[in-house]
Amino acid sequence: MEKYWNKEIECMSREDMKKLQDERLVAQVKHVYENVKYYRDLMDEKGVKPEDIRGTDDLHKLPFLSKADLREAYPYGLLAKPLSDCVRIHSTSGTTGKRVVAFYTQNDVDMWEDCCARAITAAGGTEDDIVQVAYGYGLFTGGMGLHGGSHKVGCLTLPMSSGNTERQIQFMRDLGATILCCTPSYAAYIGETLGEMGLTPDDIKLKAGIFGAEPWTEEMRRSIEKSLGIKAYDIFGLTESSGPGVAFECSEQSGMHINEDNFIPEIIDPETGEVLPEGEVGELVFTSITKEAFPLLRYRTRDLCKLSRKKCSCGRTLIKMAKPMGRSDDMMIIRGVNVFPSQIETVLIEQGYSPNYLIEVDRVNNSDTLDISVEMNPDQFSDKVKDMQKQERELAGAMKTMLGISPKVHLVSPKSITRSEGKAVRVIDRRKLHD
Amino acid sequence: MSNVRQISVFVDNKPHQAAGVMRIIKESGVNLRALSLADTADFGIIRLIANDTEKTVDILKAASYAVNVTEVLAISIPDTPGQLSRVLDALGQDNVNVEYMYSFLGTSDRAVSFVIRVDDNAQASEALNRCGIIQLTENDIAEM
Repeated sequence: MEKYWNKEIECMSREDMKKLQDERLVAQVKHVYENVKYYRDLMDEKGVKPEDIRGTDDLHKLPFLSKADLREAYPYGLLAKPLSDCVRIHSTSGTTGKRVVAFYTQNDVDMWEDCCARAITAAGGTEDDIVQVAYGYGLFTGGMGLHGGSHKVGCLTLPMSSGNTERQIQFMRDLGATILCCTPSYAAYIGETLGEMGLTPDDIKLKAGIFGAEPWTEEMRRSIEKSLGIKAYDIFGLTESSGPGVAFECSEQSGMHINEDNFIPEIIDPETGEVLPEGEVGELVFTSITKEAFPLLRYRTRDLCKLSRKKCSCGRTLIKMAKPMGRSDDMMIIRGVNVFPSQIETVLIEQGYSPNYLIEVDRVNNSDTLDISVEMNPDQFSDKVKDMQKQERELAGAMKTMLGISPKVHLVSPKSITRSEGKAVRVIDRRKLHD
Repeated sequence: MSNVRQISVFVDNKPHQAAGVMRIIKESGVNLRALSLADTADFGIIRLIANDTEKTVDILKAASYAVNVTEVLAISIPDTPGQLSRVLDALGQDNVNVEYMYSFLGTSDRAVSFVIRVDDNAQASEALNRCGIIQLTENDIAEM
């Protein structure tokens, strides 16, 4: 039996949901226009007045917000409530540039934790569960978000934060944690460490994992599920829109249900900004409709994915987004070809290699070079140099088939590539140094 | 048949890598009898024969090295011109393909020892026997 945290919302008819969204959007636009000068200027510039937005059908009339806007407005330019009404600040990791800070009122925190509670419930969590939160705590939203959601559901919450992997496993064993929340790369590392400690999934009680904050592939999911003996659920969110829980996966594991009562998604053509029909791949844009302190209208996430309203076997009617292929700013253009790290990860896992890799892009004599360091598979180690070089060639061939360009593959020692306890850094692009 | 177990270790082609392997072996008290290093631009393969194969494999695996064990042939031949050619002719006659070989120290000044990695140990061993070439056992090497 599928369990819901808020059945009324999660299984609401499309008609009722649209009505709810219409009302909330109108109020949200008014709130932003009155309180956020930065966005009011954007609307005025475009000649749009709050009265022009009478419902979701008018959404396309609103101007976009981009990460550049958030940086420009840093730190208080998009704040819609007095600081005295705010209770919390979170911040992006700043891996792709200057940090972005987001503000929360108590209602905002409640809404966010409610979204996380839906995700935990969809992953089978109840008050009988022990949730080990191994996302980083602090400014990063992962730890506090799932922590709050877990409290809401009434789970016994283990606020481990990330790192100290052997201790994570120790606690998992001693206390019998049943649900693990962390980044997928850290989950893979915990699985690997479990094996190294001579343990198997039978030695722990985990049944599910909720993993997000970085793009990961279906192949990686299967490999984590096997190494930890769990069902792995994806969760999506961004600091800008509150944190994890904007969308979450259900038992069907085929895309994430977006919490449409709080966030309206659109897919646009990243070049023209035009809204694309359902099912087409484009840039994901979110509009918050219930936020108080840090409401964002038509925020361009840079995540590339598609939406689907196909009926879901879990009974939820919330629209689903496919696993993002990667952020548009994760995408590398190498010799004119678009390359995503996730494609490389897919090939590695298919070919039996560890998903720990390092991509190095450089420019030599005006031509791009792509070097991928991959940890060799000890089970395929041969004393013959020609066998090992054949493995490099075969892997490069499989990469070429997937990417459309030939990389240079370098086999390196097992465990020599730094493991990530949070968001993994997998790409070094040295071309920027030359520009 | 007198096959000898050879241990191969994967190392990155970077400073300190071979030294790291040797340090671990030193600390274990194992004595190496033979060693060769094959290198490519990215990585190297250290091949070695130790006086205690199991122990060497265990300590290297415990240190997260990729290790494998293959059976190779070891021979001892007189240190005079033309001896190695005789060995290779014998193998060639039986169509045995030599993947690689390396020499190591024996106990006698008048003989030299070689490790030979071939694609067919049984066939190679037979060819060597037929020509009266002395093959060493793992015990012979351990006691050298």
